[in-house]
Amino acid sequence: MNHAADHAADTLGDGLSPLAVARPESIEQLCDVVKTRAVEGTPLFPQGGRTSLDYGGIPDAAGVALDLRGLARVVDYPAADMTITVEAGVTLASLQDVLAREGQRLLIEAPRDAEATLGGIYATNTSGPRRFGAGRPRDQIIGVSFVNAAGEVIKGGGRVVKNVAGYDLPKLLTGSMGTLGAIAQLTLKVRPVPEASALVWGTVAAIEQVAALLDALNTSATRPIAVELLNEQASRRVADGLDLPHGAWTLVVGFEDNAKSVAWQVARIKEEWAGRASALATLENAASTPLWAALTNFADAAPGDVSILANLRPSAAAAFAALLDASRWEVGAHAGSGIVRAHLAVATTLEVLAPEVETLRARAVADGGNLTLPRCPTAWKKRLGVWGAPRADWEICRRVKAALDPGRVFNPGRFVGGI
Amino acid sequence: MSTAVVNAAVRLVDELTAIVGVENVLTERDEKLVYECDGYVIEKNLPDVVVFPTSTADVVAIVKLCGRMGVPFVPRGAGTSLAGGTLAVGGGVMICLTRMKRIVEINIRDRYAVVEPGVVNVWLTRALAGTGFHYAPDPSSQTACTIGGNVATNSGGPHTLKYGVTVNHVRGVEMVMPDGAVIETGGLCEDDPGYDLTGLVVGNEGTFGITTKVIVNLTRDPEGGRTLLAVFDSVDAATETVSGIIAAGIVPAALEMLDQLMIQAIEAAFHFGFPVDAGAVLIIEVDGVDAGMEKDTAAVAEIVASKGGSVRKSIAWYTRKEPEYVAIWKSRKSAFGAIGRLSPTFCTQDGVVPRTKLPHILRFINEVGRRHGIRVANVFHAGDGNIHPILLFDERDADQVKRVLLASHEILDECINVGGSVTGEHGIGVEKMEFMPKLFSPEDLAAMVALRTTFNPTGLCSPSKMLPSGAACLERKGPGRHSPA
Repeated sequence: MNHAADHAADTLGDGLSPLAVARPESIEQLCDVVKTRAVEGTPLFPQGGRTSLDYGGIPDAAGVALDLRGLARVVDYPAADMTITVEAGVTLASLQDVLAREGQRLLIEAPRDAEATLGGIYATNTSGPRRFGAGRPRDQIIGVSFVNAAGEVIKGGGRVVKNVAGYDLPKLLTGSMGTLGAIAQLTLKVRPVPEASALVWGTVAAIEQVAALLDALNTSATRPIAVELLNEQASRRVADGLDLPHGAWTLVVGFEDNAKSVAWQVARIKEEWAGRASALATLENAASTPLWAALTNFADAAPGDVSILANLRPSAAAAFAALLDASRWEVGAHAGSGIVRAHLAVATTLEVLAPEVETLRARAVADGGNLTLPRCPTAWKKRLGVWGAPRADWEICRRVKAALDPGRVFNPGRFVGGI
Repeated sequence: MSTAVVNAAVRLVDELTAIVGVENVLTERDEKLVYECDGYVIEKNLPDVVVFPTSTADVVAIVKLCGRMGVPFVPRGAGTSLAGGTLAVGGGVMICLTRMKRIVEINIRDRYAVVEPGVVNVWLTRALAGTGFHYAPDPSSQTACTIGGNVATNSGGPHTLKYGVTVNHVRGVEMVMPDGAVIETGGLCEDDPGYDLTGLVVGNEGTFGITTKVIVNLTRDPEGGRTLLAVFDSVDAATETVSGIIAAGIVPAALEMLDQLMIQAIEAAFHFGFPVDAGAVLIIEVDGVDAGMEKDTAAVAEIVASKGGSVRKSIAWYTRKEPEYVAIWKSRKSAFGAIGRLSPTFCTQDGVVPRTKLPHILRFINEVGRRHGIRVANVFHAGDGNIHPILLFDERDADQVKRVLLASHEILDECINVGGSVTGEHGIGVEKMEFMPKLFSPEDLAAMVALRTTFNPTGLCSPSKMLPSGAACLERKGPGRHSPA
């Protein structure tokens, strides 16, 4: 194992330095490291492409970083079965390259895809604009192997697309923030690359009109795979380098299917929006690729060090976005799914921010959702509560943690309720 | 029975009656007979009492009572499950949820519905008629099975290839834990912070607690679709067509295969017009925006022809109420019922293989059937690689029963050998527990036992299900008793 490389980048996030960095190059080596370290009682911090190291609560204690980028094999890719089994350190971009050779793709999007690993994407439950029509990471996973604190490989699910044998550990590990074990291998469903892809961009002056258009989209004759909402600051960031019009609000709707279907849907949405959204622009096929990427990368494109993420009922997304002062917040929403993200674009103080977060969070909770902070200065995390308003089911989460990682070896302190 | 045991039994019934009322308790043997098994008829056992709660509060009171008295309990929906998931192993109290059957809320704008567990799958679809939305999971038993049962087994159906299985459509559940605590996982919104407990709970086969409410996703209806009946001389040609369609980049909404014996049984029962001399047929459904349908349909027809098959019918549909559309799916979904014409009893298996291994597994099934002298009909979800060989036998003939079990086990072992699973949608139940150590290592099973213990520490809820004894789990010792192994 190589323990020497790039020490400058070695961190556990939140300003903590690792006691050591282990770089296993096989699942067996990973098991060995975990066994040795867990026996000593050393906390372990699984890491992938290191794109989200500060995400979550502050770790209780420093420990050993497990750099999993050495687990980068494609284990099995039976293209005709539309499944692929990969080790956790495979990056999203390299996986998409492998799939593209067979005319397929994984319906998962993540910022910085050349660095982001599948293990990291799954641990953090990262998604992008296509989640509206194609589902979330939980909908693409059919099998998982992870290494528990005893250094054992635990497997759930399998390699076939339909399988109900045993509890659904793949779902449990998705979004578990590395707190149940080190994800080592994943089996995922893949799909054919569609013949055509298009994004329709329309600007809207008033938020009431945005809300009405979103309501109408819910029952549109078209079947979008993505429904995105941007405020003006966010649209300027997303469209940087693209020749697109801007307004107070921008709705972006994506279609993917065979070429006839997409052409019809693009024409149809323009009809449905006639007189209600202006400055319509359409990007098709290869021309749409940079905008798809920019919409995905917005999640990571924070100008500052504070980002909020509200999960709401879709009907509440527009009104919630309008609560965010456009001179201070860049707002980008997966509006069809009720997910509103905002980056704070100006300097602030905790005294100013805390009551604002509190108000916004109360609003989200009243709608049945919550408000978390994917990005937040370490010193402010405790006060702001990065995981949102406590939920009653966190008590069950604590018990699940105690069942699978009783010694609190993995990522202690990172997840909800101090898990 | 000792006086103490009799007194305890009387007290149990009295207290249950006090909770739910006399009209919601069954204690007489003849009334309980239907509850002695589910669709898996090889193992049977009568529960001591069947109780029908009508509210979450009822369920809480029932499980608390069972806990106090140390009596095992098992939830049941419509009893359509096929692996003995609702079998009252060791007797005890069966909590039958069919009287908790309200559709609590339908919210089209936010694409969810809140239902009680006893709501029959198709009731929700009917309640949504005309809204432009539907509840996607549609198991073949959808006119009888309940959504609570679907959640317990993570049910599939013919349309999972494109739309996913139950877990992909459940946002949250309310569950009464075995200690009587009520928990809510997930919610009305996506991505609540915390573990995906909803994902974990779906498919728990009743071993975590009693589901009392479910929040499900509603899916936008496709604008329309085409359902093709493609006819082939051989099963091989049909399975090659399945692979060809996938390779062409088309993801059909459904891709179902029937072999000759199955075709003959269905045709005799429903007279849809299935060709009884065909080696196999495929029901191929594409759906989506109407503008794209012709192109996909033509591509599929070309692949069918290239494999030597022919498209016998092409049904264009928009409402799913078109008579031919209704007829073809009724025939397919009633396939198990049609089997009654061929045999007094049948046992269906639920193995899954990688789609590309379908020709192999079908040849294997035929060979096994021949060797054991058991007739086998095949109807299955070809697009998912989820096979449903139906083994025909007479349950009064002990030797036939033995041969059916042997043949079933050989088929399931072969599914494992080729990288598949022993259950795609029916569950492990009691039937397939012995296969779990073949699919999972002792460490995997220990992790699953630890999870079960988290929810169900006393093991009173659905004892002796899913996880085999031995791996630090509960062992079946005798009626009403259990002890840690």
